[in-house]
Amino acid sequence: MDYRALVEQVIKDCLKRGAEQAEVYLEDNRQLNLDIRNGQVESIQEAQSYGLGIRVIAGKRLGFAFVNDLKAESLKKTVDRALELARAVSPDENNQLPVEAGETEVKGLYDPQLQTVAVERKLSLIKEVESLALKKPGITKSAGASYSENESLILIASSSGWVKSYKSTGCGYGLGVIAEKGEQKSSGYESCSRRYFSDLKPAEELASKAARQAVEMLDPRPIKTQRAAVILDPEVAYAILGGIVQAINGQRVLQGASFLGKRMGQKIGSELMTIIDDGTREKGLASAPFDGEGVPTQTRTIIDRGVLQGFLYNAYAARRAGVKSTGNASRRSFSELPGIGPHNFYLAAGKTSPEEIIKSTSRGVLVKEVTGYGINPVNGNFSGGAAGFFVENGKIVFPVKGITIAGTADEMFNGLDLIGNDLDLNRTMTAPTIRIKSLQIGGE
Amino acid sequence: MTNFFPESKPMGRRKFMTLGLQGAVAMALTPTMVRALLAGGNQAKLEVPPELLQKVITSALKRGGDLAEVYVENRISRTILLEEGKFKSAVFGLVGGAGVRVIDGDKTGYAYSDEVTEEKLLRAAEVASFIASSGKKIKPVNIKEQKRPSYVTVKIPLEEVAEAQRMEIMKRAEDAALSYDPRIKMASIDYYDETRDRLIANSEGLLVKSSLPLIFFIVQTLAVGNGSSHMGRERLSRHAGLEMFEEESPEKAAKEAARESIAMLEAKEAPAGKMDVVIQNGWGGVLVHEAVGHPLEADNIARQTGAFVGKLGKKVAADIFTMVDDGSLPGFRGTTDFDDEGTQMKRNVLIQNGVLVKFMTDILSARQLKMERTGNGRRESFRYYPIPRMTNTFIEKGQDKPEDIIASTKSGLYVQSLTGGSVDPTTGVFNFTCREAYLIEDGQKTVPVRGATLIGSCLDIITRIDAIGNDLAFGPGICGKGQSAEVTAGQPTVRIRGINVGGTRQRA
Repeated sequence: MDYRALVEQVIKDCLKRGAEQAEVYLEDNRQLNLDIRNGQVESIQEAQSYGLGIRVIAGKRLGFAFVNDLKAESLKKTVDRALELARAVSPDENNQLPVEAGETEVKGLYDPQLQTVAVERKLSLIKEVESLALKKPGITKSAGASYSENESLILIASSSGWVKSYKSTGCGYGLGVIAEKGEQKSSGYESCSRRYFSDLKPAEELASKAARQAVEMLDPRPIKTQRAAVILDPEVAYAILGGIVQAINGQRVLQGASFLGKRMGQKIGSELMTIIDDGTREKGLASAPFDGEGVPTQTRTIIDRGVLQGFLYNAYAARRAGVKSTGNASRRSFSELPGIGPHNFYLAAGKTSPEEIIKSTSRGVLVKEVTGYGINPVNGNFSGGAAGFFVENGKIVFPVKGITIAGTADEMFNGLDLIGNDLDLNRTMTAPTIRIKSLQIGGE
Repeated sequence: MTNFFPESKPMGRRKFMTLGLQGAVAMALTPTMVRALLAGGNQAKLEVPPELLQKVITSALKRGGDLAEVYVENRISRTILLEEGKFKSAVFGLVGGAGVRVIDGDKTGYAYSDEVTEEKLLRAAEVASFIASSGKKIKPVNIKEQKRPSYVTVKIPLEEVAEAQRMEIMKRAEDAALSYDPRIKMASIDYYDETRDRLIANSEGLLVKSSLPLIFFIVQTLAVGNGSSHMGRERLSRHAGLEMFEEESPEKAAKEAARESIAMLEAKEAPAGKMDVVIQNGWGGVLVHEAVGHPLEADNIARQTGAFVGKLGKKVAADIFTMVDDGSLPGFRGTTDFDDEGTQMKRNVLIQNGVLVKFMTDILSARQLKMERTGNGRRESFRYYPIPRMTNTFIEKGQDKPEDIIASTKSGLYVQSLTGGSVDPTTGVFNFTCREAYLIEDGQKTVPVRGATLIGSCLDIITRIDAIGNDLAFGPGICGKGQSAEVTAGQPTVRIRGINVGGTRQRA
């Protein structure tokens, strides 16, 4: 199907029928999911699907309609629906589609080989990772292994006078294993996602990591409720970054619903803390030439050595704030209006090795798993469930489970006193190992 | 839609996939938002000729298999956002399609298409059939349409309602929220409704159709004062027409959200460590939804990985504890006429007076475990194959008066509402975040404390429930397990002895 001609036609229709501005967001996806367990195929799922969303502005009012039926008659009805809704809502002078032409050059978003790799090869990869893990000492059961891939085409046409599009691929695989000992059960999960099939990590690496995770957490011991150092493993980066991402959301800031809203240009944390949002990284899983409404992506420093430098904006929130869009319009699907979200979002690496961080900790917890919502973006309070290892006199002494950690964003950001050199940029939200001087830990 | 409280996803084994591929994958791995259907507009999609359905089923079984199924769906949806005094956006959606599934032993093959045409359905059948390798051939039973009872009644059909009527209800909620207290600085009202039409046919001769309306209404309020801020929330949801708002007042919901945000401005530090916790009736039932419900879903059991493997018929909880999943409660958010595999909805007692009596199954896990089909095979949309999911899950009411439960608790935490939580179904380790909580001191509910996390393990916690109130109530929510599902969680006021609370204050 000639999508370009189709979306251009829809824009014309919108304008003809009374829209002052119009945008069409079209998505075409091919998807493959494979699950195996105990060496047997459990499920195979494959499909191709598409859909488009039409955003119109008329009299400063915004209407949006989406559909996954691309026949002319159905598209016409969808345009009418969007215009009808635009008449119902409130006028808002910030309703203005972005005008930015152009795209950022981002390499490595599309793996032309992905589709040509045989399904059997992908199946044998997950069978291999599972069988390797099941051979590890202490592992008693498989919780299954999965492979999934996606190939998508995104096309945005705007009455601002452009049509932009890009193709991308993503693939990933992972496994879950269980270690049992008497009545005890402990699970370990590991996965790897990449743009290119050939960049996926070897099965042995994933298998060992999942198995180690399950086995090393057996025989946990209780600890007393106490204040102590908290070392966050890269696995739990979201515990600190998740709340920040929401708190720097420009729309939230405008609404007064962010604990960082009034702190632009101020020192909010330790000098060791630098946070980057990068939409341009080669082969980055959250990279793209433009954002969810066509604005070119960029690389921005959000926090520079502890000083808050930037919020994230889409076109609407930017206009309202009197700034330019930062290229952070997020769109998870054709059925959604653009929201605001990060690209490859990470805490910059420091100089200390993770081993040294542990070695220099007299008493604390090395946290491998955090559950809960992370930092509350409204008021900065943090509380989560945790599991990991108790550290004493620079050594890991035993695993701990069922503990809690709690504090405030202030305590966490200012308490950052060691940053690891082990940053893995092949994740979308990532941090190296970090240490927070002291937090409240809940135990016995 | 501004979502101030992203619903937490339980940790399924698909979690790593969705996390890892963020950004790289758009539609396929993004749940939610599959919506739509314009009345009269695309109804035709559900008018699939029975001969074609039969042909697709037969074709799907050509390489063998135990079951073949065609699922056709259409969704019309509307979303309106009223925030900061403005109707900021209105969204209309229409999405339909069909999925073909083949089950062969323990294996599932699935393919779907946005287009419901003979060519696309047969193509999907072809793809789904690849899974079959057992060579086991069955002859499909001829399909025949069956009428089923409905647990959903509608007085004011959504398709007959003008946008202005929806917006008026939203405005009423906003006015009530903003006039509650000058410290309420912002109100956000999300209105969502949908009509979801389904057709399910399978090689057992099944052919059922239904059309289900759903309304989801969310009020969030931001209070600022006392050097703090708090976002309060209240949600209403039913399978109903617009008459829902006659029974469930938008003003009342708004005041409840506002009350919570104001009350929590005074919140003090929560204590850390093990303590007794009393959880108020209603949505607090999400605790057993996560902690006990997910591990009782039969897919974990069939895989021999779940926390309750080998526990059927055994005593797992206190005598006073009875837990039920009932997808036939009239009009409830978790209710449907039949599940997404065509199994009749019914009341299923899962734990009876502390004894584990039933798991929640879909067709596949029921076959694997040789258990009955309980009506828990659910899917987010035609883009997913069904898996065992909860519907309306609750702790059955007990004997105690709620006030007596508090009065007999010397010290601890009173949890008025929970945001949500998650569980690892393998180990049964769960967590929850409190939205509104108070200290209990000498049998009295006293000062509010900041949102703390509650953690524990499912097998342990149900033995520690020692008081159950007579005040059963429910709350609506969204449950995620690789795909999202509408649910309600319910419970009377309950007390759990010795649960780990993640506060910031060291107790004396």
